Amino acid sequence: MRRWQSEGRSRILWAHQRAICGEQSRGQMTDSSNVKNGADAVAQRIVDAAAACGITLVASLPDGWITALITRFAGDSRFRHVAVNREESAIGLCSGAFLGGIGAFALMGASGFLTCIYALTKINYTYQIPLLIGITLRGRPGDGAKFHQSNGLYLEPVIAAIGMPFVPIERSGDIARLAAAHRHSRVMSRPVVVGFTREVLRGEA
Amino acid sequence: MNFESCFRLLAERLKDEIVVTSAGNCSELWWQITGETERVFYLEASMSLASVFAAGIALGAAERTVVAFSGDGAFCMNPGMLLVERQLALPNLKHFMVANGCYGSTNDLAHPFGELADYAGMAKAAGIERVYEFSTVAGLAQGLDEMLRDPGYAFAVLHVEPLGRHLPSPPLDGPEVKFRFGRYLERTGGRPVFDTLLHRQ
Repeated sequence: MRRWQSEGRSRILWAHQRAICGEQSRGQMTDSSNVKNGADAVAQRIVDAAAACGITLVASLPDGWITALITRFAGDSRFRHVAVNREESAIGLCSGAFLGGIGAFALMGASGFLTCIYALTKINYTYQIPLLIGITLRGRPGDGAKFHQSNGLYLEPVIAAIGMPFVPIERSGDIARLAAAHRHSRVMSRPVVVGFTREVLRGEA
Repeated sequence: MNFESCFRLLAERLKDEIVVTSAGNCSELWWQITGETERVFYLEASMSLASVFAAGIALGAAERTVVAFSGDGAFCMNPGMLLVERQLALPNLKHFMVANGCYGSTNDLAHPFGELADYAGMAKAAGIERVYEFSTVAGLAQGLDEMLRDPGYAFAVLHVEPLGRHLPSPPLDGPEVKFRFGRYLERTGGRPVFDTLLHRQ
């Protein structure tokens, strides 16, 4: 069983690394090595900030912007990283982990977050279970993906509509706000969502 | 097998385990039979997430056996839950999927999925080694101890008839369920849930 888990983790890491390299090979990043170094450095800072919060469980489903971050979490022995089948499973798993006394972080893309409204309002709001959620701020100006423009239009209004505290991480200095977001979630017994911009995740802001 | 007889047997045998019940019949019937308010988390708003929620609890309560009940309607919404549970391979998590062939929380409206798919076969195909299937109370009585006591994640399909009636929900608000359950875990040797230090900036 242990051997399988180890192999599973290697496969996940390999897949994430392939995703990063794939993006680069398609020429979507013109300064790929700088971006990779910047993204890795930022990913490490986010991972360290999460560890400082007492988080030991990370459940994720990838977005192209957070593959480096997920790879960092998956490779860091301070965390148990779980690759979930869908974003709602991250909400369920991390919410249960709260009752198990484990600090948890649900990490996903913007589109995935929008699929979680039911789980968040029914589980976390009904039972008042705190949770720190990390998402990508897809669809903001600068995001060239047409299929993410709906997120630019509706993501933040939807977060506001369900009354969920939202902490944007728009500059590298904002990464320290993860601790405040995590603490606020515990204080108010509700989820708090932190949103990472592309520039921050690439180490450019 | 008869749904209520099945749950009466389970309630009789599951005395020390932590229990998570999903929306509808599972929560309502467990509440009617046991009236328990401490070691049971009535996750009445789950729609396929009861077992992964239970997995999160099991991660932190490694010394306790955690039993999750889900329905076949929920299972069909999210069969990928098996892949997450297989990946986690938690030795203290036991997942019972109640296959009643209908949506018990919505007036037993029938669904066809049980006739189309082999749920136990799906679990085996997901790589789960310990898969059980019970269609009679006698069979459940015989196989239950092995499923619970042998270490390792296990998944069981409970083939039951529709309950045929609507029972009252547990008369507990969400925060009450949370606090009763969390305080029980803390009091019985679990990790601190509510009293953990809040990290300062």
